[in-house]
Amino acid sequence: MYELVDVTKQYEKGRRTVAAVRGITLSVEAGEWLAVQGRTGHGKSTLLHLLGGLDRPTTGTVSFDGRDLSALSEKQLAQVRGDLFGYVFQTFNLVPTLSAAENVEAALIPLGMRSSERRRRVAAALESVGLADRARHVPSELSGGQQQRVAIARAIVKEPKVLLADEPTGNLDEETRDEIVALLERLWRDRALTLVVITHDSAVARRAQRVGVMRNGSLSVIRDTRRSEKAK
Amino acid sequence: MFFFTFLRRELRRRMRQSVFIALGLALGVGLVVTVMAVSSGMQAAQAAVLQGLYGIGTDLTVTKAPPAFDANSSNGGFRITMGPNGAEVCDNGKCSTGAQTVDNLNGLSYGPVGYATVAEIARLGHVQAVGGGLVLTDQQMTVPAAVAQGAALPTSTSFYVDGVDFLHSTLGPFSSGTVTSGRSFTRADATDATADVAVVDTDYAAAHSLHVGSTVTVAKTAFTIIGLLTQPQGSQPPDVYIPLARAQALATSQGKALTGDVNSIYVTAQSAADIPTVQQEIAKLLPSYTVTSSSSLADEVTGSLANISKLISSLGTWLAVLVLATAFAVAGLLTIAAVTRRVREFGTLKALGWRSRRVIAQVMGESAVIGVFGGLLGVGVGFLGSAIIDGVAPTLSATVVTATGQHLVSSTPGGSSVTDPTITRTVPIAMSAPVTVDAVLLAVLLAVIGALLAGSLGSWRIAQLRPADALARVA
Repeated sequence: MYELVDVTKQYEKGRRTVAAVRGITLSVEAGEWLAVQGRTGHGKSTLLHLLGGLDRPTTGTVSFDGRDLSALSEKQLAQVRGDLFGYVFQTFNLVPTLSAAENVEAALIPLGMRSSERRRRVAAALESVGLADRARHVPSELSGGQQQRVAIARAIVKEPKVLLADEPTGNLDEETRDEIVALLERLWRDRALTLVVITHDSAVARRAQRVGVMRNGSLSVIRDTRRSEKAK
Repeated sequence: MFFFTFLRRELRRRMRQSVFIALGLALGVGLVVTVMAVSSGMQAAQAAVLQGLYGIGTDLTVTKAPPAFDANSSNGGFRITMGPNGAEVCDNGKCSTGAQTVDNLNGLSYGPVGYATVAEIARLGHVQAVGGGLVLTDQQMTVPAAVAQGAALPTSTSFYVDGVDFLHSTLGPFSSGTVTSGRSFTRADATDATADVAVVDTDYAAAHSLHVGSTVTVAKTAFTIIGLLTQPQGSQPPDVYIPLARAQALATSQGKALTGDVNSIYVTAQSAADIPTVQQEIAKLLPSYTVTSSSSLADEVTGSLANISKLISSLGTWLAVLVLATAFAVAGLLTIAAVTRRVREFGTLKALGWRSRRVIAQVMGESAVIGVFGGLLGVGVGFLGSAIIDGVAPTLSATVVTATGQHLVSSTPGGSSVTDPTITRTVPIAMSAPVTVDAVLLAVLLAVIGALLAGSLGSWRIAQLRPADALARVA
């Protein structure tokens, strides 16, 4: 599904050039769960942005299903993000003035659906994350765990191929963390998603099929259970 | 619909800021509305002043310059010469000396024009109506037997007389007024060459204790007052109106009788758009004549009315533009600040697949609503400003100075001097500031434009936004 070839991302910080990602070559299979660990500032989120078409590499290519994302126009990238990728953020990133249902609906607006179809899908998405009874609540009326569930519902409502989660449990307590990770795992299995999770929490990474560690912009795979799972 | 739901919720979230921007726009456009209202009131007041002079419906006036006065000529004209050796009054070469009372009805402000010229102008294209009249000054003076050296010359009293051609035309100063006592002229008054009847302006009548039935002396002839005429407030009307035929019989110009003559021709064009064309055609037909439109006559009006008009058109307009520009700038800065605070939110929407133009449409929609709200508030501010001006503004004055055409010669051992007396008329005018429909529409439009300009600044910010950078911001 993903093919990254010698991908580097550099930023200008004043007079200095900082390499957030250095020469990463990586393949991600369809339906795989990849977790990327690492300390803050070592390029994990940058890698996720490159996978999600939110940023372009300085050098190298990021291909998704054979398409070089870095060569697409902004309009094409927006369409790919809208159709194929779902995002979950550490700080939930819900629109504070919209209700849970309206936040989920926001992900369907670029797809040009009829409002009746949007409402049906939103109801189904909230049901799948166990928040059907909170549809009319705004984020300030929801707990952290509930807000993250709404964010997950927003990510999956368009039935994406890939779910990209940036520290999805970073702002949650231990019990809620486990609930969210369990939810992500269930959705990954039930919907055959490709799941990439950025996390500094080993307890979360442990549940993935493959775990990589980002250090100073480079990625090393430290565990890969895909073949053994296939063998089973 | 999602767009309107999102818009409504965002405006409610930033209610205080939205109201602040709307109030800023309201202040700017409200000032524009008030300035326009005052300007409109000034124009109406000036038009009323001129209507009293030239009548309702007159688009153009045609006059001829009077013959040049030669102080050294001993022939022609009406001359009063006074000095230590005696006084002499000469009327077209016929002179008398000694103490006497002078009552001269003259049309020296303008040159005489044959009545046939009125018909010539009526035949031009785009001319709806033409009328002729005599604009006269009745000058009265008590001339002493002699004036000692260094002593002050006696002063003359004068009043305006209008010869009204009411049989053939409804144009001219008489048409602006309403007979409020007695009656107006009838056909019999025009056809009877000896009918010495007059209609008098109500203000002049009040000042001189005249009423219907009294007499007023014009050119040493006693006219019976048959009616009192009230002109619009602020106008500069003649004092006495007499039938044109009597005016032609009694008045002179440079010693010549004005039989069959007029000295002011009033023209109405078929439409406002035709006025320049008609003006050009008359100028071509009568190249030595002066053809004046209402807008150029406005320059003759002085006094505090004219001063305030200039103040409004210069300072008032610039002040309104400055306040409006400031309101636009503040709205722009506040909108950019609001967009900056929502960078993470917009970055998330872009991550969800929203294109920049969809996000921009949301921001512009919010700005447009603020603009409409600001515009409506601005209209309210404008009405408030207009009401305050109507209530507390001082009474203005309009002054028109008109030459009488008279030349007063005084000779002394040191030489002779000539003075040209003028008549200065000052009338009070209550200032008003009516808010027009144009001003209301302009107010709303300006406010919406200002808000959209502010929104476009924010939109530029959004268009530059890279999702990764936006998401990297700490909320």
